[in-house]
Amino acid sequence: MSERRLGGRPDLTALGPALLVLVCTAVGLGLDSYPQYVIAVATISMVVGIALVVLVGLARCITLASGSIMAIGGYASTLAVANLHLPYLVTLVLAILAGGVAGWIIAFPGTRFRGHNLAMVTLVFQSVAIILIREATWLTGGAEGIHVPPPEIFGLVIASDRAFLILIGTASAVMTLAVTILVRGPFGKNLQAVAGNEIAAEAFGASVRGYLTAAFVVSSVAIAFAGALLAPRVRILDPDSFGVLDSVFMLAYPIIGGMHSVWGGLLGGGGLRVLPELLRPVADYQELFFAALVIFVVMFFPGGLTELIRRTTSTFKQHPTRVSASSSALPACAAVSFETGQRADELLVVKGVDKHFEALHAVNAASLSVPMGGIHGLIGPNGAGKTSLFNIISGFLAADGGRVAFAGTSLLELRPRDRIGLGITRTFQNVAIFGQLSCLDNVIIGLGRNPVIHAMAASLDHFVGGAATQDAKHRALVALEAVGLADHGTSRAGSLSLGAQRRLEIARAIVSQPRLILLDEPVSGVAESETEELRDLLIRINAERNIALLVVEHNIPFVAKLCQSLSVMGAGRIVAQGSPAEVISLPIVRQLYFGEQVTA
Amino acid sequence: MLSQLGFVVLAGIKFGALYALTALGLVVVHKATKTVNFAHGAFAMLGAFGSFLIVVNWGWPYWAAYLMIPIAIGVIAATIEFLILRRLRQADMFTVVIATVFLGIALSEGFRLTYNTELLAVPSLFAAPPFIVAGVVITRDTMWVIVGALLAALACIAVFRYGRIGRGMRAMAANIRGAQLCGYSIDGVYMLAWFLGGVLAGLTGVFIAPVTGVSVDLSIAIITAGFVAGVIGGFDSPRGAVLGGLLLGVAESLSAAYGSSAMKNCISFLLLFLVLMWRPQGLFPERSGRSV
Repeated sequence: MSERRLGGRPDLTALGPALLVLVCTAVGLGLDSYPQYVIAVATISMVVGIALVVLVGLARCITLASGSIMAIGGYASTLAVANLHLPYLVTLVLAILAGGVAGWIIAFPGTRFRGHNLAMVTLVFQSVAIILIREATWLTGGAEGIHVPPPEIFGLVIASDRAFLILIGTASAVMTLAVTILVRGPFGKNLQAVAGNEIAAEAFGASVRGYLTAAFVVSSVAIAFAGALLAPRVRILDPDSFGVLDSVFMLAYPIIGGMHSVWGGLLGGGGLRVLPELLRPVADYQELFFAALVIFVVMFFPGGLTELIRRTTSTFKQHPTRVSASSSALPACAAVSFETGQRADELLVVKGVDKHFEALHAVNAASLSVPMGGIHGLIGPNGAGKTSLFNIISGFLAADGGRVAFAGTSLLELRPRDRIGLGITRTFQNVAIFGQLSCLDNVIIGLGRNPVIHAMAASLDHFVGGAATQDAKHRALVALEAVGLADHGTSRAGSLSLGAQRRLEIARAIVSQPRLILLDEPVSGVAESETEELRDLLIRINAERNIALLVVEHNIPFVAKLCQSLSVMGAGRIVAQGSPAEVISLPIVRQLYFGEQVTA
Repeated sequence: MLSQLGFVVLAGIKFGALYALTALGLVVVHKATKTVNFAHGAFAMLGAFGSFLIVVNWGWPYWAAYLMIPIAIGVIAATIEFLILRRLRQADMFTVVIATVFLGIALSEGFRLTYNTELLAVPSLFAAPPFIVAGVVITRDTMWVIVGALLAALACIAVFRYGRIGRGMRAMAANIRGAQLCGYSIDGVYMLAWFLGGVLAGLTGVFIAPVTGVSVDLSIAIITAGFVAGVIGGFDSPRGAVLGGLLLGVAESLSAAYGSSAMKNCISFLLLFLVLMWRPQGLFPERSGRSV
């Protein structure tokens, strides 16, 4: 399946949503003027719907500001036409810019918060923006509203319902295509990754604040564009048509339609805009009906209509992938000879690192080093400070003193996401895969090509089937093959067994060809049989790819067989270092670590 | 001049006391269940509507409203917890916020459909003339709202701090597994927290009905003010909620009197923004001396 996609053909499925919008428009052309009006505004709501899929569905940010963003787009376009006499199409660009700026303004405080605080920040923006529009009577006409002149395109005045439908439908299709391209490519994947696991995303070079800001900007651009399309259609633009309640009901679009795909936004936006027109006789009950519908969907069909459709159809199409089948297919461990006598150049040097948590001296002048291409283990009883030291090395915890250097570069000042550029990757104690994404996409994120702008460009490359996309897929497939998950490229990562998820993490860690992998308890919670396979896998990766490993682990037999050298921590200090056999037989280590139960 | 200032501040304290009661309801539910109930404003609006029914429609005395409505709204809130939110306990905060937002819409729409008017007026409690202290006119209603709402808030804080119920809720908030091991049931404590939140919302409604009347807009007005008050005070601190409410009320009243009505609307958002940006734990957070 994934092999076939390697051919470098453009991603034609990305055209689907835009085609749907065009088909709706084309159907409308043959109808009366009232249905033409309804279809035109429905395509506008479709754009709002997919914009909110980006923000609410993929980035999982709640927004109650959509109404004000729409108003900003509408006013930007209308005021530019009325006061600056710019052509309508040019003002659409202005509306996009205004929307982008507004999105950035919300995101600036907004990305610091999640959940209810974020909802409140967006509500603040919504309320203040509408108050300002209402108060700036000299510019906007205040609460009375402003007359919107009919748009003129290349001398052609758009006045009839039919002309409006053509203009709005085409423009909506263009915006739909643009957003779909972003969503289907790496930008959309990374957004889901960020929303799914912020720490793992940061560790692989995706800035959480950067992506959430981008999500606000992209969705606001699309919503403001929709507002600029709507303005001439409603003829009188007034602030109270874009109130809090309108924002709340726009939030319902992706929730009811489906939060995880563009189709959900189209379905939710279009459907919920057309439904009230069909329900005219009982119009009074529509808000109550919508609210009840949202609660019902949230309770019984989380993920919305498209998720429901996907789940009912996928039971026929795809069988859940069985992982145990392929784990037995893992190649046997290659014979590796350790040249322990030869001290290669030191790759990672930790010297005198200190960390206090108030009165607790968690890490006390700890020093260790990992040689180029070596496997070093860090062990010690609970509370010894291993995890603190590990987090200092991986950048998730600031040290109070000491030095951590990687191939001559000091690491302590660097953010976690900068480490991947140096050639350091990591795995997590509690598996931190991106469950919503396919295994292949998980590994592609591991390539670390994740700055926002880069991901947006890569989305375009993905759409045209360009060389970068092929290259990324190829590398990811090789990495998946190396860990024995080649058959699972298209499976959702969340559906794998724990052992397979651990191997997926390793694939993600090796795909960027790093020089060092930090492994945080790689076999915790993994079955005994899979533990041995994982050990063989790690030894093979180390030997074949010359990647050094630093392993924090509780499982002593596992560490003893995997590592070439060990450091033992106790009460914040490194109490012993040496080869596994030496270290484990030391009396102080046996006393400190094993207590009375000597098992190794 | 000074007497006008006194009047403005007093009006601010009156609204502040109502905001405090609202914020307290939000904080109590949040402390115990870690969810923010965006339907709280709709609960309070139903409470105000209830006092309209009792006092105006049925002509019963006011004390009946004060007695029956908080309990009724508490029962409604606990029922909603039982029917809807219990099923969402495994879901993330995102989903729960969305559910309560739309729950609030559903409740206020339900009210609008059954009683389709712009505004229902509820008469004031006291007919007797106002006091005049140092040139400041103080109506008996103002006195009653300030004293009554603040006393109710203090009683709630006391229950939360010293009662067995409060202990369970605080334990649940601190460590859900530990509280369960100590014999508190999640279902019981969550339902109780929602009941208590509903009681406070109902009480807010009865207090506010004669002040503002009853309308659909009340729902959003109350939840926004209560939320802002809670954030200003510190969302985990009942004491902070009360102080935050009073602060917000006075700030709004002052900016409406000496600024403009638009400024009154903006001031609460400005405060919320400033607090979230520079002091997200709130101005009066709970002392956290217990952490190691």
